[in-house]
Order: sequence, then structure tokens, then C-alpha cells
Amino acid sequence: MVAENSTPHLHSAVEPKQTFRRALDMAARAAMPSLFIMFSAILLSAPFGIPGQAQLQFGIAMCTVWFWAYSRPRSMPALAVFLCGLVVEIFSFGPPGTVLLSLLVIYGVSHHWRYGLSRLGFIAGWLIFSILVVLASFFQWALVCLHAVALLSPIPGLFQAALTIGIYPSLTALFVWGRRTFANPDQA
Amino acid sequence: MLSIHARQVLAKAVLPILILLAVGLVLLGLVRRPAVDGVRLMATDFMAPAYHGLVWPQERAKVWLTDLRGATDLAKENARLRDENRALRHWYDVAVALAAENGRLKKSLHWIPETVPQYVTGRVTRDDGGPYSRAVLLDVGSGHDVRIGDVALDAAGLLGRVTEVGPHTVRVLMINDDASRIPVTLGSSHSDAIMAGDDTASPCLIFYPQDHHPVEGERVETRGQSTMPAGLPVGTVHYSAPNRPVVVPDADLDRLDIVRVFDYGDDDSHAPDAPGRVRVKKLPQNPLTGPLPFSWLPNLPDMPGRGGQ
Repeated sequence: MVAENSTPHLHSAVEPKQTFRRALDMAARAAMPSLFIMFSAILLSAPFGIPGQAQLQFGIAMCTVWFWAYSRPRSMPALAVFLCGLVVEIFSFGPPGTVLLSLLVIYGVSHHWRYGLSRLGFIAGWLIFSILVVLASFFQWALVCLHAVALLSPIPGLFQAALTIGIYPSLTALFVWGRRTFANPDQA
Repeated sequence: MLSIHARQVLAKAVLPILILLAVGLVLLGLVRRPAVDGVRLMATDFMAPAYHGLVWPQERAKVWLTDLRGATDLAKENARLRDENRALRHWYDVAVALAAENGRLKKSLHWIPETVPQYVTGRVTRDDGGPYSRAVLLDVGSGHDVRIGDVALDAAGLLGRVTEVGPHTVRVLMINDDASRIPVTLGSSHSDAIMAGDDTASPCLIFYPQDHHPVEGERVETRGQSTMPAGLPVGTVHYSAPNRPVVVPDADLDRLDIVRVFDYGDDDSHAPDAPGRVRVKKLPQNPLTGPLPFSWLPNLPDMPGRGGQ
């Protein structure tokens, strides 16, 4: 079964009438994952002084794009990933372009393997996600070293990867609930 | 209207095009980093009021918690404050006496007064470090005169230097950032060193004289160089491991709130030209290669010892 058709298609005779309000509601529900990334990026750029705030920006964006790209690709098109990546880039001060490129690559993998990933169990999907996150963090670290023309400690990158991998299960639980309820355009 | 085939091709081409754009942004960041940081600074300028609104509940909660802690142990707190007040009165008297003595000595030496630095005070808008760097953004308001290289201090000591300047916001690279190198002087040994940030809470000391190792607990101050004035308090020396002296900063780098940015101006103390040193005009390599002024002379044969062979 294709994941994006998880909601059974209703018969046209019993479908609600398409009004402007309903179209708006559907668009808002479909845009919910992208809005979640943008809102988190802006919120986490405020000076709360929470440890690992910058790493969380990256982590939330990666988890959200990975989940929605295979679970409901209509809610996470490539252009939306690009816009979200740009927002995260603007509200962070890492080496430019790395988060954006990582998001697009993880989107490409997740979207391309969406049928396979839908059939795989949670643990296997999490494992693949973890490998990609470690690679993305390594890429970011390599670029920072290139910027600084020095071999920096990879510990911050590993911490970022560990945090991203660690928050994935909790975010997945939220997204699975959201896919059925507030982020489901079919329920508009 | 596009055909189905064209739409399919377009849909497949979107992701590679976007990835190419992202690679372009990575390359732009490598070759023109200030341009990208300028855009980020503009976004922060725009968001500064919203940040204040976002952290306002947290600040209020902190104030309430502090009040609550004080209220639960009033007697102990009062005793501590009385002791502290007594000590401060003593130090106030010492400071007044030293200031008077200092004034008298400066007067007798005809001391030329130093220029008073201009400064602006700003609130930390956001921690701007990310995983690999330590920096903060300050909201200094419009119409400021902050320049790149200005010095940032909190109430206790040196924080860092300004690296980017926006219309309302400035970015301060902290002393513990990996890219930070500050020339310092050690208090008791009077030797110079470089304080190098290493992304930890305590930057390390490098390039100190091998016959004058830093002493545990001695004061570290800035050494005057360019826009960095001498004598700003930085911290104290501590050995985190054998042969690894680090500086424990006076400034509280983890909990920054109000920060002052000082403009000490350019260092225009250029040394005058030393008397007797006159720039020597370079003679042409071979004065006879050009056309001779007396062209009526016949061509001379090449002489031995004049080159050309």
C-alpha cells in the first residue's frame, strides 16, 4: 500500500462541497510540516539559553523532512524542503548551505525509497535515518574545517547527530498522530 | 498547459535543480561568507523585537525564582549581604585612596590623559554560535557607531570582539571561539602570550616565553594592540593539565545579558621616521643600457668585465 494514500478515498457523492474555506483548511493542513520546521527554526534562534538549541534546529528539520517525505510526500514537496532549508539557514550561523543541502539529500533518499520505507519497520527506518544524519553531520564538520583551515574537534557534530537520532522517535509519535488529525488534508 | 510528459520531466528535474542551487549556496559561503552573514544579520535585525517578546516570560520567571529563593531564606541572605557590604565599604575606601594617590602621581609626572572610549550598551538578542562557534548577537539600537574590531565587555571582563555590524545588531565573536586570538599580558610575570579560543569554556594560552611559564592564579589582562587597549581584565590562569595553561574568564560567557561595546578608536600612535634613516633611491640595474645622452660618440666595443658576454 502506498503511504500517501493511507486515507481511503471517499466517494465523490459523499465528499464535502469544495468551498474556499475548505481549500484554505486543506492547504494549511498540508503545509503543517513545513510550517513546523520554520516555526521551530525561528523559535530556537531566540536566546533561551537552552543547551543544544542550535543542534535542535538541525535535528527537527531533518526528522520532519525524513518522516513526511516518505509518509505523505504531498505535504512535503521538494520546493517546500528548499524553502524550509533557506529559513533554517537564515536563522542559524553555521557554514552556509550545509543544512539546506543535507535536507535536500535526505528528502531525495526518503522520497525515492518511500515505498520500501513504508514497508520497513520503524527500527530499520530509524537506522537508515541515523546513518544519513551521521553523514550529514560529518559533511557539516568537514566544511567547517575547510572554512577554518584547521582540524576542529568532531565532538559537536557527533552531539548534533546523537541529538537528532535521539529526538526522532518522539517526533515520529507526534507526526503519526498529526498525520491522522491536524495535518491530514482529507479531514478538512 | 504543459503535457503530462513535460510535467513528469519537470517534476523529476526539480530536485536536482534545487540540489544544484544548494551546492551553489555552499560555494558562495566558501568564497563570499560576509555576504551570507549580512543576510542573516538583516533577518536578526528584523526579528529582534520578536526575540524580546519570546524571552520575556523566561526572564520574568527567572526574576520570580530569584525573589522566591531570597524570600525563603531572608535571615541568611541579610547576614550575607551585611558581610558583603562591610567588605565593599573597605574596598571603597581603598579605591578612593588609590585613586587620589594615582591622580597625584600622574600630575607630578605630567601624565597625558588617555582618551575616554565611546561605548554602547546592548542586550544579547540571541546566542549565535551553532555547533562549531561561539558568538552572540547584540541589539544596540539604531544610530550606533560600532565598528568591526570593537571590544565587548560584560560587568566583569572581556567577552570578545565585534566581527559583523548591522543597522541595529552587531555580532560579537567570543573569546572562547575557535577563531579567536587575543594578545594578553600576564599579571605577575609580565610576560606576553596569546589567548586562543578552543570552543571550551576556558581558552588556552599559547606562545608564552618558555623561561616564564604562566603562574597558577595570576591575572590575565589584554595587551595594547591596534584597537585593543591594554589592561582590560580577561581572567585568571589555571592549569587544566600539566603544561596546559588556560584562562578562566572573568566574564560569564554562558549567561550573557547586558553587554557593552567599547570603541577605543584606531591606534594612530605611528612611530616617527628615525633621524638619519633616509630612503635610498634605487639606481637602475645597468645605467648604460638606455640611449646615451651623447649620441655623437661611435659605438664602443664590449669591454671585458662589463658583462654582456
